[in-house]
Amino acid sequence: MNEPVSGVALAVVIVGLAVSTFATRTSFLLAGRRFRLNHRIEVALRYAPVCTLAAIIAPAVLHSAAGYDFSPANPRLIGVLGAALWLCWSRNIVGCLACGMAAYTAARLALG
Amino acid sequence: MTPATLERRAAFRAGQRAILQSLPGTASWGLICGVAMVKGGLATPWAIAMSLLVYGASAQLAALPLIVAGAPLWVIIATGFITNLRFVIYSAAIRPYFAAESAGKRAAAGFFMTDFTFTLFMRRAQDGSLPTQHRDAWFAGVCATNWITWQTCSIVGIVASGYVPTHWGLEFTGTLALVALVGPALIARPAVVGAVVAAAVALLAHSLPYRLGLFAAAIAGIVAATLADSLKPMPPHEAEPAQ
Repeated sequence: MNEPVSGVALAVVIVGLAVSTFATRTSFLLAGRRFRLNHRIEVALRYAPVCTLAAIIAPAVLHSAAGYDFSPANPRLIGVLGAALWLCWSRNIVGCLACGMAAYTAARLALG
Repeated sequence: MTPATLERRAAFRAGQRAILQSLPGTASWGLICGVAMVKGGLATPWAIAMSLLVYGASAQLAALPLIVAGAPLWVIIATGFITNLRFVIYSAAIRPYFAAESAGKRAAAGFFMTDFTFTLFMRRAQDGSLPTQHRDAWFAGVCATNWITWQTCSIVGIVASGYVPTHWGLEFTGTLALVALVGPALIARPAVVGAVVAAAVALLAHSLPYRLGLFAAAIAGIVAATLADSLKPMPPHEAEPAQ
């Protein structure tokens, strides 16, 4: 750091971030009861978890500082495939992590 | 102790058991997030304060380079806000289930909501295995356990940042844990359509600032899944949230 940020500024930033995070998380939960979402939208929101997670995972696996990497030699892609294979016969998350990390690490060491 | 208190304690413990499986992923991701904050240039006490107060890894990590570079306050806060826009969707999704709770409990459910606790809640809601009684105590058990695990590991990462190996790719466990959460949902066709569209939009829009691509992708995926859903004959309807 060439120019250390002052303690007061840091405290304000952290509180500001905390407030903005809290605001997004509680937005609809704390909205008044008269304010209601269209029923169709509420039903559509059951797809929120799967879509958001897919949107987080895809760039984390297929994009890095070096740009897009769709090659089958991408160790993170191999890791996800390992985890997916595990999920085909078990829902156990610990096993999924172990299997995915093993595939990822093996690919990284072999191709790296 | 009254029977109601005992029931609430049992519900709390059931919630703790429900989140147990995803804790290894939360733990290693928390550790890495703690290390990343210190390595990114934040002093130990500030990093701990941020972890405790914000409790949102993606916002913390998105804001970090801006903080260290001395970016204007509003830019940092806007970045955190936009990074967290997905929580607005989560908040809308769980709202019907908490409509009868007090404002304090709804605020707490929001504060402690993460990708993991939200996904677990919604999965239980959809397969009908959400407890019908003392749902607030059950979710409190889920959230408390997730929070303690995350904070412990994040603070260990902050304090011991020099001793945690960063070349093992431990941060990848966070992504894998999300894969484990999303995988079981990919049985129904609308969910698959939604996930594919969301992933494609997220990749295409990845260069947008403030992780706006993530929000755009989530919306596109939800719309696509809903369209796919309406194209097939209506199944006998699953349990919908009690209004």
